[in-house]
Amino acid sequence: MTAKINRFNLTLPVDEYLETGVLFYLNDAVTQLLEHKEEYTQFGVVRYFAEYFSSVKNSNHVLFREYNYIKATPHNRASFIRVFWRCYRQIGKSGDLLSMLEYTSLLQLLCPDFPVDLVQNTARIILMDDAIDCLMSFSDFVYAFQLQFYYQEFLVSVQAIYQDLLSGKSPNTVIVPTSTSIEQLPPVTTEENESQEQEGRVDPSTLAEYIDCLCDRFKYSHPPRSCLREVLEQSDKVSYYSFLMSLAKHDTINSGIGALPNKSELLVDPEMDQELDKLISQISVSPGSNSSGSAVGALKEVPRKASPRRNIHHRRKMEVESDGSTEETDSSEN
Amino acid sequence: MAEKRRSGTTSGMSEVKPTKSDGDREFLTQTGVGELIRGALLKMVEAKSEDPIGFLADHFCNLASVSDAGTAGCGDGDQLNDCAGAQEQQQHLNRALWHLRLAHHSQRCAFSNNVQVAYDLLSHTGPRRFQSGISEGSEGSCNSGRTGGGVRGSLYTQTLQCLCSEGGVPASTSAPLLRRLHCQDHEAVPYDLFRHGVLTCAVFSDYIRQAQKLYAEVCCPAEKPASRALCLAVLGTLQEALETSRGCDASHCANANTKVNSCLETNLKASRYLEASAKISPYKLAQAMAGARTGGPGGNMDAKEFENAAAELFITRVRVVS
Repeated sequence: MTAKINRFNLTLPVDEYLETGVLFYLNDAVTQLLEHKEEYTQFGVVRYFAEYFSSVKNSNHVLFREYNYIKATPHNRASFIRVFWRCYRQIGKSGDLLSMLEYTSLLQLLCPDFPVDLVQNTARIILMDDAIDCLMSFSDFVYAFQLQFYYQEFLVSVQAIYQDLLSGKSPNTVIVPTSTSIEQLPPVTTEENESQEQEGRVDPSTLAEYIDCLCDRFKYSHPPRSCLREVLEQSDKVSYYSFLMSLAKHDTINSGIGALPNKSELLVDPEMDQELDKLISQISVSPGSNSSGSAVGALKEVPRKASPRRNIHHRRKMEVESDGSTEETDSSEN
Repeated sequence: MAEKRRSGTTSGMSEVKPTKSDGDREFLTQTGVGELIRGALLKMVEAKSEDPIGFLADHFCNLASVSDAGTAGCGDGDQLNDCAGAQEQQQHLNRALWHLRLAHHSQRCAFSNNVQVAYDLLSHTGPRRFQSGISEGSEGSCNSGRTGGGVRGSLYTQTLQCLCSEGGVPASTSAPLLRRLHCQDHEAVPYDLFRHGVLTCAVFSDYIRQAQKLYAEVCCPAEKPASRALCLAVLGTLQEALETSRGCDASHCANANTKVNSCLETNLKASRYLEASAKISPYKLAQAMAGARTGGPGGNMDAKEFENAAAELFITRVRVVS
């Protein structure tokens, strides 16, 4: 939800209260109901709404929905990131490195029309815009993806500012009268800046000030200003992708979004580990016996199951089972 | 609001399939979706919960479980009735508690409405055959609410207990309060008393939570219990504040029948409350605590004792239900 509601703004006017995203979900609930009348009225409309809103509350509502829906609210975006992590964290455990296209496929299993360019942008963050065909670890990918997807509008604006600074123009974000007017901002092009710009870097403090102005009037979500400033204070010069990578790895920004755990806990998945151990022990029993045969048979039957939800669950298991597809690569983990 | 949103939906649909929108509208009317959503929105806007999605999820789940129970329980024999009756009673209690949780007691209007709904819910609980015998009468009283049979004493006491424990008050702390408020199991509790009990428990829960926080502030070095003298000083200021506001209540009662003085009374009341809150202001509290440092009884007071003492200050002011 965009606005924060608490007991102290009980006097919030009704319109503003409703704008916190609830109307969007009500609208979608009714639209979905109309599109799937027979299926969703099976147990009555009350139960349908109960399940719809329960799933929104539990962040289970974004699975297999179209891209426009999952990007529509911050809550939806965070939920999708979380779903992606939960579905595929075993990849991280197995240590597989995947390509940008492979990650795209994984995303499109969860959201059929998920755009490739978003994944490309994610790859650019990790690989510093260099050879984006290289393979990436799950851990790097998921945090960069989170930043790219959750704050996509913000990143577009920051990139525009950055490009303007790089080419010596004054970024035109400073239009509204704020305390920092155009005249007061430091001149964009100085000797020092020129040499930095040749390397594709800008002065962090200049960038920080322009980003600050952007945040003043920005209507989409953006990372907390303190975090932005903190990152920019860390170095004398900053390139766009190194800046983004630092943001992606920032713990406070991560916990602010609330979708993913810290890096140390990213690959922890005790329930799945248990399930897999059980499966593996079944399979490692002698191949001639019935029990293992049935276990293997069950795995083999998997791709033929009709329901898309089942496919995800079993594909996940199969990916871990297979051991031949890991490619040797010399791309270092960033 | 429901219409606005509904027409938004159908106009969106009509861009693509013009003939479908009529069918959709009819479908929505038939299934009662409009009413359902209108009801949900009204409740939600009244409650202005911090978590509107969670609120709607709970709201619809509640409704769904009610309609499930309704279809399940019809036409049973007497024996099954008693079992179903107990379950139904528990369900009614849960729903009533849910309603009571919707609005904070400081939101007087919303809170009163919710108390009314909860009261209605609970006063129509009972074995099915008993209810069916007086069904016409109870339907009539449904609307007026207050002239209904009343809430059974045992159910009323249970409600108060749940309110206190949900509010974070340990049973031992709330026990003396409940003793003052409770009614005999067989008695029928009228609306005014029900409201008084519920409000008292809601305020008491808040009060105890504040007292707990106060204790936590006083004993800042986290592990050690706070010094007795300090605690007594704090409790003293609390007591003074409560005394001051109480003075206002007493005078109010004395003039209860004099309508002419009602305006004067309101002003007097307001000034008393201001005085009371001044007594509990941070400055006053700091003064009292500074005074306590220099003298007073030694030893420590632990959290539980502080809580009980604070509770006592409150409870002595609650009139006993006779």
